[in-house]
Amino acid sequence: MKRDRFYRRLFEIVPGALTWGTIIGLFVFAFIRPVWVAIFVIVFDLFWVTRMLYLTTLLVFAYRRLAREKGINWIKRCEELKPADGLRYAHIYQAVLFPVYKEGMEVLKASLDALIHSNYPKDKMIVVLSVEERAGAEPWENAIHLSDLYKNKFFHFIVTRHPDNLPGEIKVKGANATWGAKMLRDFVDSRKIEHNHVVISCFDADTCAEREYFGCLAWHYITNPDRNRSSYQPIPVYNNNIWHARSIARILELASSFMQMIETMRVEKFVTFSSHSMSFKTLVDVGYWPVDMISDDSAIYWKCFLHFNGHYTVIPMYVTVSMDVATEKAIIPTIVKQYKQKRRWAWGVENFPYVMMGFRKANKIPLLQKIRRAFNILECHYTWAVWAVIVTFIAPLPLLFGGGLFRQTTIGYNLPSVSAALFRVSMSTLFIFIFITVKLLPPRPPDVKPQKRIIMILQWFFSPLVAVVLGSTPAIDAQTRLMLGKYMKFQVTSKHRHVPK
Amino acid sequence: MKSIDKIMRAIAFYTALVIFLALLPIVLSYALGYKIDYKKFKIYKTGLIYVSSHPAGASVYINGKLHNELTPMRMEELKPGTYKVEVRREGFYPWEREMEVRPNMVTKADRIILFPIAQEMQKVAASEIADFAISENGKIYYLTRYGLFKSDLDGGTLKKLSGYSEWPKNIIGKKFSPEMDKLLYFDKYKVFVIQLDAGKTQPKGGEPAKIGEVFVSPDLIVDVFWYPGSNYIMVVSESDIKVVELRDGALNRNIASIYKFNSSPQGVYYNEDAGILYFTDKKSGALSNEDRCLYKLELKDNFFENMMRMLVKKDTDNGYEKR
Repeated sequence: MKRDRFYRRLFEIVPGALTWGTIIGLFVFAFIRPVWVAIFVIVFDLFWVTRMLYLTTLLVFAYRRLAREKGINWIKRCEELKPADGLRYAHIYQAVLFPVYKEGMEVLKASLDALIHSNYPKDKMIVVLSVEERAGAEPWENAIHLSDLYKNKFFHFIVTRHPDNLPGEIKVKGANATWGAKMLRDFVDSRKIEHNHVVISCFDADTCAEREYFGCLAWHYITNPDRNRSSYQPIPVYNNNIWHARSIARILELASSFMQMIETMRVEKFVTFSSHSMSFKTLVDVGYWPVDMISDDSAIYWKCFLHFNGHYTVIPMYVTVSMDVATEKAIIPTIVKQYKQKRRWAWGVENFPYVMMGFRKANKIPLLQKIRRAFNILECHYTWAVWAVIVTFIAPLPLLFGGGLFRQTTIGYNLPSVSAALFRVSMSTLFIFIFITVKLLPPRPPDVKPQKRIIMILQWFFSPLVAVVLGSTPAIDAQTRLMLGKYMKFQVTSKHRHVPK
Repeated sequence: MKSIDKIMRAIAFYTALVIFLALLPIVLSYALGYKIDYKKFKIYKTGLIYVSSHPAGASVYINGKLHNELTPMRMEELKPGTYKVEVRREGFYPWEREMEVRPNMVTKADRIILFPIAQEMQKVAASEIADFAISENGKIYYLTRYGLFKSDLDGGTLKKLSGYSEWPKNIIGKKFSPEMDKLLYFDKYKVFVIQLDAGKTQPKGGEPAKIGEVFVSPDLIVDVFWYPGSNYIMVVSESDIKVVELRDGALNRNIASIYKFNSSPQGVYYNEDAGILYFTDKKSGALSNEDRCLYKLELKDNFFENMMRMLVKKDTDNGYEKR
């Protein structure tokens, strides 16, 4: 037990120590060995540029795939399917679980309306609203009201209240989702529906699934022989309020959508993110979402991965779910909100100690696979935390602190021009981002002026500035907290929908 | 993932990897100052020369060979050694120097100033000029045998200020007053002042400028300075330092001798901003004329006004004289 605690702390310290070791090391070496730091910066810049080019290429592939699959009538495809392992389209129930905190009526209503507009048979859909008890009376009353409005439109509509302070739980979304899933199980069992026939989608309260989402999900579920060893990940876009959000927030959320699109092309590294779906049987088998971790979306993947000894994958689905951009009316509150949201995402680094502790006991997972996956988590969080710092703050240090002799060396002289040239090459990827942004944009609401389209394009030229402010710092913050054992609490990103006049 | 996507992704990945691995030695060797000789499979150290000039856009010859770029420019991948660098631009004197290129180092010929070859001179004013003075506010004053004239710096908008033409033959110095409303000039024994804005105070039809002799020194004048306010001048002669008050009437002008030299000064300097006069003088009682000290006299605010007020009050001859 004591040993376990030691290892857990060790694995908690590793990511932060690596990040801080890199930053402090480079800072110190900028004084004593400026040439080494200059070489490191150039190698890193080149690595970053080629990585950007590579990832942008993957983004183009993912976008092409998304565009190609947009016109598919998935329901029709499902109907044409032959039974697989005795499973037929007609068997599949879609359960949609919304863990609710204090999200307003208008937010939840839009999400439920999106389900109504879906082309999946509503008599095969179960909706669960799991409301946090600690959120107070109003969300609960809202949920009851929504239940009255929508209960006759689906196969079943469950409204439940997640009690506060259940043993073993901390105040996280995963605990609420788990409670909701248990209520769903009670219902499913009462109707003697096989768990294998239920696909559960855990959606943020603001998630609006596109029309074909559930058809696409059902098709992938039926055709996948490893359906119970897979999660199903849509592409999250932030279209709900994108026209009314601040530029800085738009850039960050679009970048996160792009990153998810890129990840769909890297299946071996793919991990569930935000709203996702999975077999209800699998969820019950692994014991639901973790109730003591903030990043429940990725943690459930790792829980399944460990449970099935590494035989677990995420199936990318080229359909979108639309969510809200975390934004406020003024710029500073928007930055603060984005910072907190990104820090919560970066807290996904808690998966590293969780996975490493799991790997210690999981003897059936091949060592090479363990190393590769642990490296993937570490590399992802490490580069997230250090890249903007290296490119913007470390790069000029040799020139600032290297002294006159360093500035007289060829590398001292060439460092700014080489860095600038590589930066210009990386900026060329912006044109791809702009193109895909324009393509993914929802129709302009009538209360938004047409010239805002131009801002949607020009905003990308501020992205290096945004990257400096909100690129690395939330990740460094999260890793430092984990390293110091100052664990984060779940902070809900408040969602306020713009209501046109 | 569809297999076609898998293949495309593999192609993208390996292309990126190849690009990275191929560019890494090229970028690093370039940044570090190494040159790769692909034919001989050899790497050698180089240095570079950086040349910038004012004005920019000059041609650079390295060991007699013209370089493509104009200044500011850099010549890279130079083998260590000595290079003859010449910077040339038409209409300017060429610049050249032997420069030592060291391995992995930058040799700079930075901010070279190219001096223009003298162009054909342009005549500003054609009249017979005895002397001239140029003010800080961009005017030229001509002291000619036909009178006093004023023009812009290019000789334009010439205007006659006075018909006065009795200019001394050997003017030693000329100085504009701090308020730019007067110009003093002096020869060995006399100090003259031109009131440049006299026209403002005179009835219509009068000359714009008024010229007058303000002081005649019994001893050789070393230098003359303006005191702030344009109403006093300090005349440093071989025997003493006198302060002369300027009033409209040349008669009844207050003159005070504020210091008497033990021997004629070798140097005088007046710091206008600080109001300090520096001068050399022999120590009192010293035998040798070479045994001089440097003194300073702080002429604080209102020094002369107070002095003159005292003079009027006492109306005595204690070192002050009246003319």
